[in-house]
Amino acid sequence: MTESAARSAVFAPLEQRGRAETVAKRLTDAISLGLLEDGEQLPSESELAARFGVSTVTIREALTALRQQELVETRRGRGGGSFVRTPADRAKATVRARLREMTLAEIRDIGDEYSAIAGTAARLAAERASAEDIARIGTSVDELGSGESGVQRAERAFHLEVAASGQSPRLTQLEVRLQGEFGALLWLPTSEQGALRTAREAHTAIAAAIADADGPRARELTEKHVLEAIEQLAELHMRLCTT
Amino acid sequence: MLQMPTLTVTSVADEVTAMLERIFAALGTLRTSVEQVYAERAGTGAFPGVADLEALRGQIIGMLGTERGLVVGCGFITDVGMLADRPRWLEWWKGEVPNDPVRLQVSLDPTSEEFLDYTRQPWFSTPRSTGQRHVTGPYVDYLCTDEYSLTFTLPVHDGDQFVGVVGSDVYVRGLERVLMPLLRSLGGRIALVNAHGRVVVSTSVRQVTGSLVRSPDVVQLWENGAGGPLYRCGRLPLALLELP
Repeated sequence: MTESAARSAVFAPLEQRGRAETVAKRLTDAISLGLLEDGEQLPSESELAARFGVSTVTIREALTALRQQELVETRRGRGGGSFVRTPADRAKATVRARLREMTLAEIRDIGDEYSAIAGTAARLAAERASAEDIARIGTSVDELGSGESGVQRAERAFHLEVAASGQSPRLTQLEVRLQGEFGALLWLPTSEQGALRTAREAHTAIAAAIADADGPRARELTEKHVLEAIEQLAELHMRLCTT
Repeated sequence: MLQMPTLTVTSVADEVTAMLERIFAALGTLRTSVEQVYAERAGTGAFPGVADLEALRGQIIGMLGTERGLVVGCGFITDVGMLADRPRWLEWWKGEVPNDPVRLQVSLDPTSEEFLDYTRQPWFSTPRSTGQRHVTGPYVDYLCTDEYSLTFTLPVHDGDQFVGVVGSDVYVRGLERVLMPLLRSLGGRIALVNAHGRVVVSTSVRQVTGSLVRSPDVVQLWENGAGGPLYRCGRLPLALLELP
């Protein structure tokens, strides 16, 4: 089988004496660029070692790092080996890389800002939402659970509907800006099971508080929801860094 | 000396009605033009394409700035699959400044992060489901303008087939600029509200734009028909409300 030049370059011998990090980086890039496709089996450890010009120990180290980032899955037994796991959304790999580079202090700060905006928007929504607004917020709650659209889009739609129901164009604009800047990051862990259910419960509770015109409760629940997302994000950051 | 006619709540409500009905009348004319674009293509068995909509541009742009500058956005928005060469399309023009119209650009790719499904917005979905004209708002138009707006829409059909809506945007701040002098001259505390009791323009600092009037119950008053403290603006879902 012939390989494209770009694909061959993925496995080209390393100039420097190989380090696991460099191998991992090259494979990560190849996955996020789509040069390595979802479900594709990687060459064996010894073949990879030969092609990269590094030891099998280094390869094993690199694969461990990729496994932790969930970019590679290792199956045992007959027909086993290392398989590429493209995130459903290719951008996810890029987002993970970005998350890895961040500091916990930055993550906390994003949470502080987002919580201020989303919390106040929820309080205003509780004070000002009409029956029509409440119905639309309800629809966006259902979407998160039914998996009709991507989780991140559903999160974005929910918070956007809440912000718009607060009747403040400025707060809504801030919400849109923050979602654009950090949305992909903020809701990254929500895509995981467990986290999805927690998020759905949070949305249901926030929507109920808004329908009850209970501003303080809507704010409190929203702040808690954001804090949970941030905590999960911080945990994911730690996991990604522990390689 | 010329005597200023005495303003009453009813006469101001009538003036608001006349002004906004003219916006709908202009939209009716635009709708006829869109229907014509579709009718011309009827024989070919295909829907019109984006290029065919260019015939509407002069008319759309000509509506911007009308009604004392209230109309700040205008156009035709298609339902999914109703153009030959685009699944979705907004032939929508914005212009607050005279003679500088800008075509609205939003993401129309459902797989993109920024995509928002406009067919689910009330200004689109309500005329589609009711077949009737619709006034949306006041609402935060996060899809198109990021402004607090009122959107006036009419459904457009090609035969029995719903193909989209024609509409006009009015900013709430524009309406306040036009209406405030009239409302203030009435004295007392008075607000323009929608049928849900949402305040559009108000002379009361306690019941400002965007707030919901919970007392009196506007929805209840609406059903009771004419007579103070609620003065309905004709058949529009808007009314002047004397605040307690």
